[in-house]
Amino acid sequence: MTVEDSPHVPGMKFFVAVWIGLMCIVGVEVIVTFQHPSPRVLLASLLFLAFVEAAVAVFYFMHLKFERAALAWSALPLFVFVMFMMDQIWPDAFRLLSMRLLSQ
Amino acid sequence: MSELELSAHSGHAGLMEESPYGIPSGKLAMWCFVLSDAVTFGAVLFAYGYLRIGSPDWSTPFSFTPSILNGLVMTFVLLTSGLTMLAAVEAAKAGRTAAGTRWLWATCALGALFAALHLLEWRRMFEEGWRLFQNPTGGSVEFGAAFFSITGLHLLHVIGGVVALATIAIGFARQKYNRIDVEVLGIYWHFVDLVWMFVFPLVYLMNAK
Repeated sequence: MTVEDSPHVPGMKFFVAVWIGLMCIVGVEVIVTFQHPSPRVLLASLLFLAFVEAAVAVFYFMHLKFERAALAWSALPLFVFVMFMMDQIWPDAFRLLSMRLLSQ
Repeated sequence: MSELELSAHSGHAGLMEESPYGIPSGKLAMWCFVLSDAVTFGAVLFAYGYLRIGSPDWSTPFSFTPSILNGLVMTFVLLTSGLTMLAAVEAAKAGRTAAGTRWLWATCALGALFAALHLLEWRRMFEEGWRLFQNPTGGSVEFGAAFFSITGLHLLHVIGGVVALATIAIGFARQKYNRIDVEVLGIYWHFVDLVWMFVFPLVYLMNAK
């Protein structure tokens, strides 16, 4: 196994299209925000759109999609595991159960 | 020159264990750094989430103009800097040193512009009376602590990236640094982009009037 160039990396036209897509998602985020939905709906919508943006950035801008799959399979599950443990298993996370949203 | 040759500066490539991921060690190190830094930002954003949900008098001070509009312009600048960084990486890979250097400087300029816009936003908030532990609207004082901590941590990363971009641009033009160094810096810069994709909606849009 050798260290090689990342194969099949698309050209700049493709990345410009991705950039336009990301800007459109940001536009949608702002439009959704000023529709003034409830905090829960707004948070869920913004988080969903942010994760879509992040996935696009990681896989295309950071070229993870064009590296060997082993890199993504090593990095992403571990990261998700750590974040899950921190948010859900970390003792302070249980305090969330007794907290409330502004609208309630 | 292949990446193997570029990464095996010592001349002991034949004795070295092969990379399990097929990438140079510098790139792998940057991925490890990015993952650990992502956990740091994750922790800070979770902490912000707890504060926001736990505070019944949380302020939502950002109107469309000037705050959200300024945030939109900052997002545009940072995302565009990601595109110029990609152009720098592509040029460096193709061996076009002059073009690669120009794109690196363009990225550096956009990063500096982002930082300047951010500092202007901070100045406006300071003038309104916002401080780390002071809320001029009378709501939770934790808003200032959360806002300035999160955006400050991100700004610190942007400023660090701008310094690194200038350093690599100068070194790349003088052929002190190679295309792998440009690629490694690219991973960092896109990560800074990525963090902003969470900071803008969660810290600005969630606190819009």
